[in-house]
Amino acid sequence: MKERILSCVRRALEHRPSPVLPDPLTLPSLSREEAVALFTERLSGNGGEVVRLPDLKGSREWLEGFAQSFSGAAVSRMVPPVLYPALPALPPEEAPLGISWAIGAVAETGTVLLSSREGRRTQLLPPTHLVFVPEETLYATLLEALQALKGDLPSAIGLHSGPSKSADIGQVMVRGVHGPGRLVAALIAELSD
Amino acid sequence: MRVRANEYPKESARVIREEPHVRESVTGATLNFDAKRRAAYAEVDSEQWRHFAEDVKNHVLMNLEHYLEQAATALERSGVRVHWAEDAEAAQRIVAALVREKGVRRAVKAKTMISEELGINPLLEGLGVNVLETDLGEYIIQLLEQPPSHIVGPAIHLSLEQIRRLFHERFGTPLDAAPDTLAAAARKLLRQGFLEADLGISGANFVVAETGTLVLIENEGNIRLSTSAPRLHLALVGIEKLLPRFSDLSVFLSLTARAATGQRLGTFVSLIQGPRRPDEIDGPEEVHVVFVDNGRSSVLADDEAWETLRCVRCAACLNACPVYRQTGGHAYGYVYSGPIGAVLSPGLVGLENTKPLPYASSLCGACFQACPVRIPIPKLLLTWRHRAVEEGLTPRFEKAAIKGYALAMTQPWAYRLASKALRLLPEKALDNTVVPVLQAWVEGRAGLKPSSKSFRELWEEGL
Repeated sequence: MKERILSCVRRALEHRPSPVLPDPLTLPSLSREEAVALFTERLSGNGGEVVRLPDLKGSREWLEGFAQSFSGAAVSRMVPPVLYPALPALPPEEAPLGISWAIGAVAETGTVLLSSREGRRTQLLPPTHLVFVPEETLYATLLEALQALKGDLPSAIGLHSGPSKSADIGQVMVRGVHGPGRLVAALIAELSD
Repeated sequence: MRVRANEYPKESARVIREEPHVRESVTGATLNFDAKRRAAYAEVDSEQWRHFAEDVKNHVLMNLEHYLEQAATALERSGVRVHWAEDAEAAQRIVAALVREKGVRRAVKAKTMISEELGINPLLEGLGVNVLETDLGEYIIQLLEQPPSHIVGPAIHLSLEQIRRLFHERFGTPLDAAPDTLAAAARKLLRQGFLEADLGISGANFVVAETGTLVLIENEGNIRLSTSAPRLHLALVGIEKLLPRFSDLSVFLSLTARAATGQRLGTFVSLIQGPRRPDEIDGPEEVHVVFVDNGRSSVLADDEAWETLRCVRCAACLNACPVYRQTGGHAYGYVYSGPIGAVLSPGLVGLENTKPLPYASSLCGACFQACPVRIPIPKLLLTWRHRAVEEGLTPRFEKAAIKGYALAMTQPWAYRLASKALRLLPEKALDNTVVPVLQAWVEGRAGLKPSSKSFRELWEEGL
């Protein structure tokens, strides 16, 4: 069957000129501070929340407060142990909070990049999704992020740019349809204590 | 899917006459989508992006054999099983074999147009598989046993009231329930579906040949769940869906989202490189990709219509179209509706089965302005009209009528004679079926009433 389809394609293209493949379109890059500001503006605009934390110690302190309103959490195995909340560990199917460690983020679109290596259910099933983002992996543009990831692709990457939403019921925007209804990105400026 | 496009004139008139709420819902939704699309295009150098996207797609299509081979090799390298289907029957055989071999009892579906094209839902139901559409809009129309009315918003033709009534009857939600409450009811039921399903079925927005990446864009998270939770994932992919490089996604992801919904990026994008790896804790054990031809290679061979294969299914042309807006998608009688349906469907299923569609346009050109890959839809509408005439698919009287019209419009004596004759017709002569040519017209509209005096006479009398 493959050969039959490919030979139909080959016959269709006989004597047809081949146009050149254009070079990728690039956008100007940004400084760290500009990227943080743009990421914050864009993800907030998409309905997400952004906090900026100085380092792992500061992140730990912030997390203690944040975690208080949850009864349990599913934590991805990529999250460093210092950022495990003082909450009962629950499977993603039951946890009110899922915690991820991003493999990158994109400022221009307000996006966090998530790897299947940490487990996909943690990213999708809990109603609130907290994603830690080391600022050194915050890219200005989607192109920069894709180029950085290309060498080492896991079985799946999820690009999340806000809470789950749908306008399929009478054109009214509804949040948390299937995926998390709340997305919180916590930028960590320096990965030191 | 059965093609009923030849009934378009009658069906569109019927929808406008009998279901006025459809026009209201579709007009509201598409004007909203279109305004967002314009704003999102204005934020970037959209002309440059559209030309880039057109050039990349042209390059892929003119080297399609190479890129299909490259994609299949890359997919297989990461453990994906690649299948090939030359038509709908072949695709159905592949799906049926997988269902039997793997003992599939329950399937969840991520919104996919090609599955409609291939008739996958009736096939699965016939095999005793419990099939659940998981996109909220798709789920609603599955409950109503209707096909999608729009490529991106399948339930765009339904009002909030209609959906409230449906959910009240099926799930006992209050008749005045807020959309949040309705969505929560569906979420609960569908969440169970994701966790119990053996098989997740998706399409693909793109397949990157370089890395063997399946790319899926969405807003709800149902596609991520459908491709993550069940033990099997099957993706149905038209052979034209390829992109050469991973980096091409930067423009194509953002441009498609801008064109479709005015977003900078879909809320969720999945980049899938194959089944779960040994060091991963979840994800499907098997990923199957079916590359589907089903008429695409013959469209590719067509000197003009091949350009429709650049289509990324964003529905921007539907949202921009003043004709689509009147009826929504059902009247078009095939899975792809609106301007792109009018030029794509004749190529995929034959002009003889889709004759009226190229005429379902005012040729205003708004569709071309909106199209992210610059498909010359207005030009192609004329191409199909010319071909309909050349192939003798137009009604016999049409040629005589056009000749008569040309004579009347170029010779003053003939014009005066014709208009006088019309005015002398008895009252209501054009109101029924006396003149067979007008039958289709008066079926959906009020009868024609010629003025008792010509404009010239009225003018001379000082109006």
